[in-house]
Amino acid sequence: MTRRDQMIKWLVYTLGLLPVWVLDAYILNRFPLRGVSPTLLPLAVVAAAVLEGAFAGAAFGLGVGLLWALGYPGMGGSAVLLLVLVGLISGSVTQYMLTQSFFGCLICSVGALAAQEAARLLWALFIQLAPLTVLLEVALYEFLWTLAWTPLVYLIFRLVFRKVGLNRLA
Amino acid sequence: MKQFWRQNGLLLLIIAALLAILISLGGALMGGTADPLSDLFSVVSTPIRSGVSAAADWVESIYGYLFRYDEMSAELEELRARVAEMEQAARDGEDALRENQQLRRLLDLQAKRRDFVFENVRVTAPSTSNWQSTLTISKGSDFDIAAGDCVVTETGVLVGVVSTVGLNSSVVSTIINIDTDIGGMVARTYSSGVLEGDFTLMRDGKLKLSYLPDGAQLVAGDEVLTSGRGGVYPSGLVVGQVEGVFTDPSGKTRYAVVQPEADLGSLIEVFVIKDFDIVE
Repeated sequence: MTRRDQMIKWLVYTLGLLPVWVLDAYILNRFPLRGVSPTLLPLAVVAAAVLEGAFAGAAFGLGVGLLWALGYPGMGGSAVLLLVLVGLISGSVTQYMLTQSFFGCLICSVGALAAQEAARLLWALFIQLAPLTVLLEVALYEFLWTLAWTPLVYLIFRLVFRKVGLNRLA
Repeated sequence: MKQFWRQNGLLLLIIAALLAILISLGGALMGGTADPLSDLFSVVSTPIRSGVSAAADWVESIYGYLFRYDEMSAELEELRARVAEMEQAARDGEDALRENQQLRRLLDLQAKRRDFVFENVRVTAPSTSNWQSTLTISKGSDFDIAAGDCVVTETGVLVGVVSTVGLNSSVVSTIINIDTDIGGMVARTYSSGVLEGDFTLMRDGKLKLSYLPDGAQLVAGDEVLTSGRGGVYPSGLVVGQVEGVFTDPSGKTRYAVVQPEADLGSLIEVFVIKDFDIVE
């Protein structure tokens, strides 16, 4: 695969990310369910990592992490590290333990979202934001509501993968 | 796997860690100003944000017209009645104002005058996190908006405070956000307290008026205003109404739960108070 092919491939992946980002940042947060909106960006990283492998997943995670950290109010730089790890681990787990399928993506999404919510819970408990029950409720709804969007996000990236995935452009 | 780590994985992690530190440090050092990377991103994403916002507002208005016609009609009737009441109150108020001015002169009180300098802005994006309550607005430092500026509705109801300013957009921390810390008072009793965000209440769209004085006799429906203590925020901005008074878990202080007057979920255009004077 030439450098040009690689560039085209990741450009198409970026285009695949665009509807997920618009949905996440500008549309779904206007219609919260039980006061909670989903966070779709980790799902995008998981989907790309499951389809493209650990290194590509981590690199994609780096880009999406930057988008998350710079484009979303209140998100810190830790978002970059979190999504690189999500890409790296999801890609590795799929390569060595699971299959490159929706089921694999779902399992990795559960893990990634659980890790994200756990990190947020720990931070919230550390700064004594609210009682544990309230925090757990928000984290649980966020986890479930986000997970419900896994099929759509996977479908978008699956379409991208079928067009330009792995070495298809070569 | 080992080969992967040796080849690229470790390098990516190091880059990610460095970026994370850079962004975090940037955010911490810049205070209320957006760091250059966030600013650049904000400038680039402005057309998308504005486009999506305009489209969503249009869809919402169509939805409202189609499915909430009866509701809107009833609301219109109610508003007409309220306008009539308010017109009467305004006529009464004019007499009271005249009388008040006479009394001020008589008592040699110096009239207080506040000069607000407004900047009208559009709300381009609602909160993107379930753990905070923020709004993104369409103007930033290029219109002299600064961190700490108050944001109000067209009727002077407090929406929040500008927390981060970029070149062409800003982030507003709404009054129910967890970092809210503004002097407040109850209009009827002049009881002062501190308006504070609380995560549990934020989920219900409310906030706290904490550290109420012992003798404060508040009732549900009392209007809560900003007190302007310290001169950081203007005084007299309407925040909301008291919903109930509770005792702190420690049993030592009381606080009131305040229902904000502004409907934070449906704001389209708001006003930033860029400057104000309190002349005493």
